[in-house]
Amino acid sequence: MKQETKEPILTETNEPTSTETNPSRSKGTTMREKALMALTCGALLVAAPVLAACGGGDGTSSGSDAAKARYAAPTEAPSDARTGGELTVIAASDVDYIDPGAAYYQFTYMITSATLSQLEGYAPADVEHATPQLATEPPTVSDDGKTITYTIHDDVEYSPPVSRTVTSDDVKYAIERSLLPGVPNGYVQTYLAGVEGIDKAIEEAQDDPTGGAPDISGITTPDDTTLEIKLENTTSIGVIGALTLPVSAPVPEEYAKQYDAENPSTYGEHQVATGPYMIQNACVDDSGEVVDPKCDGELTGYTPNKEIHLVRNPNWGGEAGSPPDWDFRPAYLDQITIQEGFADTVSASKKVLDGSGLVNGDFTTPPSAIKQAATSGEEGQLTLTPSGGNRYVALNTSRPPFDDVNVRKAVVANANRTDLRNTRGGELTGPVASHYLPPEFPGFEQAGGLEGPDLDFMANPDGDPELAAEYMKKAGFSSGKCEGSECEITMVGDDSPPGSDTAAVVKDQLEQLGFEVNFQKVTHDIMYTKFCSTPSNAPEVCPNVGWLKDFNDGQSMLDPTFNGQNVIPENNSNWPQLDDPKINEAIDAATLIDDPEERARAWGDVDRMITEVAPAIPYIWDDQANIQSADVAGVINKFNANWDLAFTSLKP
Amino acid sequence: MARYIVRRLIWALLMLIAVSGVVFILFYVFPSADPAQLRAGRQANEDQIEAIRESLGLDKSVLEQFWIYLKGVFTPLDLPGTDSTGPLYLGHSYQSNADVKDVIVSDLPATALLVFGAVIIWMAVAIPTGIISAIRQRSLLDRSTMITTLVFISAPVFWLGLVALYLFAQDVGVIPVFPGIGSYATADTFLSKCASMILPWLVLAAATAAIYARYLRSQMIDVMQEDYIRTARAKGLPEKRVIGKHVLRSAITPIVTLLGLDVAVLLAGNAILTETVFNIPGIGAETFNAIKRSDLPMIQGITLFGAFFIVTLNLVVDIVYAYLDPRVRYE
Repeated sequence: MKQETKEPILTETNEPTSTETNPSRSKGTTMREKALMALTCGALLVAAPVLAACGGGDGTSSGSDAAKARYAAPTEAPSDARTGGELTVIAASDVDYIDPGAAYYQFTYMITSATLSQLEGYAPADVEHATPQLATEPPTVSDDGKTITYTIHDDVEYSPPVSRTVTSDDVKYAIERSLLPGVPNGYVQTYLAGVEGIDKAIEEAQDDPTGGAPDISGITTPDDTTLEIKLENTTSIGVIGALTLPVSAPVPEEYAKQYDAENPSTYGEHQVATGPYMIQNACVDDSGEVVDPKCDGELTGYTPNKEIHLVRNPNWGGEAGSPPDWDFRPAYLDQITIQEGFADTVSASKKVLDGSGLVNGDFTTPPSAIKQAATSGEEGQLTLTPSGGNRYVALNTSRPPFDDVNVRKAVVANANRTDLRNTRGGELTGPVASHYLPPEFPGFEQAGGLEGPDLDFMANPDGDPELAAEYMKKAGFSSGKCEGSECEITMVGDDSPPGSDTAAVVKDQLEQLGFEVNFQKVTHDIMYTKFCSTPSNAPEVCPNVGWLKDFNDGQSMLDPTFNGQNVIPENNSNWPQLDDPKINEAIDAATLIDDPEERARAWGDVDRMITEVAPAIPYIWDDQANIQSADVAGVINKFNANWDLAFTSLKP
Repeated sequence: MARYIVRRLIWALLMLIAVSGVVFILFYVFPSADPAQLRAGRQANEDQIEAIRESLGLDKSVLEQFWIYLKGVFTPLDLPGTDSTGPLYLGHSYQSNADVKDVIVSDLPATALLVFGAVIIWMAVAIPTGIISAIRQRSLLDRSTMITTLVFISAPVFWLGLVALYLFAQDVGVIPVFPGIGSYATADTFLSKCASMILPWLVLAAATAAIYARYLRSQMIDVMQEDYIRTARAKGLPEKRVIGKHVLRSAITPIVTLLGLDVAVLLAGNAILTETVFNIPGIGAETFNAIKRSDLPMIQGITLFGAFFIVTLNLVVDIVYAYLDPRVRYE
């Protein structure tokens, strides 16, 4: 899934009013600013006990385990789950793309998992392995590892107005259309790079963006229910992983091609569903009854930035609570409304906790709401789920002073990672990170588990100034502190909390080591696109970066972020610009391993190698705090760390 | 008068072009997020980003983009890379690909209801308050009223909005009286939409009513010192007539100017904080989203729309001014 800019769990974009309460401008203070500063101070006074309630321990203690047990994510619907009713999802922002071919965001997946049927999907308890959905069984891989074969169900039907049976050609088309510039897919070209004929197809699509989806010669459909994918120079793991995402949900070519002939494609606004729910169009009424089978298909249930309205898909084949044979999603609810625009997440969370039939959507539950849910909420109103992501402070290894590994080790050793974690809200928001692969992830234990690898500069999560001074001396700074012009560094970070709070703590910690930090505050998107992700303009320190898995494989966590070959002039995700030949080699080797256990071990080793050269300060593995009204029997999808709308019901 | 109006309209057109230019310059000169990278997703390569840049027309020079934009807004000429034609073509959102004009049109009713409801409240409160305070100058009533207005002027709108929500909203308030956050979106009748606006109206009206009351009071006190008012009183005109016919008519003229500008500015999206706090799907909330996502066509469209409102209402105010104040004449 996408980087911090769009993930609710990793986003700072959901504290909109906080930019107006930012008291940090250095020169001059107006009356208005004074008022805002007073308000901010007041807010901090209120927040202090909340943060205390959320804990401020070392993050690896048993307190964290107890909290996890108490707020464990429910992954099964109750046996007496009620059918019917309407659920409202309260969201701050819109989906990234309504087009499933481009969807690449945790919140969007929450919706696509209810409206689409991918080759494989994720049942609520799935963490490591996907469950066949449109496919009848997991894909088979040929002995030479170069051919992946899927067999799909022959009785899955599209919602109106298409209303025909899905074939394997539709899956092929869905993948091919994702290469069109008008369907800006963010991951297919990465993970399917080794599929035969994809390079030619990419060229074709770019040469003629409105000429229809290009043919990928390596994807064939011997019959209506079989899909074969031929590979060159890659393993099947990345391809199979990518096809657990919405790009593998079928798209009917004869219907979609008119919309795909536009750039950007407008198929998203006319999409048809294959899951238990559909985004309402004029063909169906609120109850999902067909009222006009030949409607033009334009979505009436989607207004950008305002609302998405899901109704039952009349062609799904099951009833509420009784899925058809091919599907595992019970789909208890009758309607689901995603109401967007709740910019103030504190009041939005309170609305969810005090209200009826509501769950949170894309925003991180703020500390005050966590406290309310934990202290006065009913059991189950708050759940905590490992997000499968990390956050770290990137140190630019491409230029002084952080091109010196000893300086980096000094900075990491000096860092109080517990303090950094606490800027996100304390212990309930996740454990203090000691490396990069997150908990419950293949390779996590091999990389050192919760304690982390046995490295002196990572040993103390509260920081070790003496050790830091030693490393500075090794780097040639005899006083143990940074001295000279190269110690005047620039840091570009968020202009609003909690990111700006984290950055402020980083600045303090760097200054303790003698650095003179010029902290530039910008919005989260600007921070990425203009600075940290543009190497030519990258500062020495990026304090607010992080990564969320695409799927449970080390490649999706470590290859884009630490492989030197992936340092690109723009949209760069290797923020430390780490280019260590040994690490690059180890990443390339791990990418080609087929055996899951061996692969996990290899990625664990890569993680350890990265941590050893200290390109960043990892400080939290986020837990996603989700909340629901007392009358909702919510089910969490652990893969997506969010509510699974196709399993959630209202309490009887 | 006709020549004056024509001249003003020509100036208005030039001003709208200048405003568009300023927005373009601001967007490109000051750091803003790269829309192509935002659309591309985190793993997109350079070719993909370039293709998106091309599809959004961002590969062209700033001047060329500006020219295409002006063509779309002001002329019926063909536009490269799109089937759409002007005039009044404001482009498509970088984020949602929605037609900017359609979005503004669909957002306008919510903003209009918010603004006009608030205007009625603030005028209904401000005018009597200003008059009474001016007449009972330095009385206890005057002092307490002016202190109260000072409190409302000092309170930031978003803070006032949150306090109102936590006190009186049905969803999050301790005294659940009025519909709460996001209730406008779920209201399906005009009456229920009005009900959902009660708190936003009060919040938006509070500070403005306070400013207007103080301003009117000060204007009236000035006017009451004038010789012609003394003369009117000396002639034995009843005090009600002196205040209503002579003092108020003269003192309220600047208020009309202020009102015209305030309404225009609010309709143009400046109710951003009120709309954001109460989750009202209006132009202010759209502005907030557009800025957050570096959505230039949306920012540009809303700015132009706002400038149009401000220019038009300014013109209307100037015309009304002439009727209110016989001394004002336009050549």
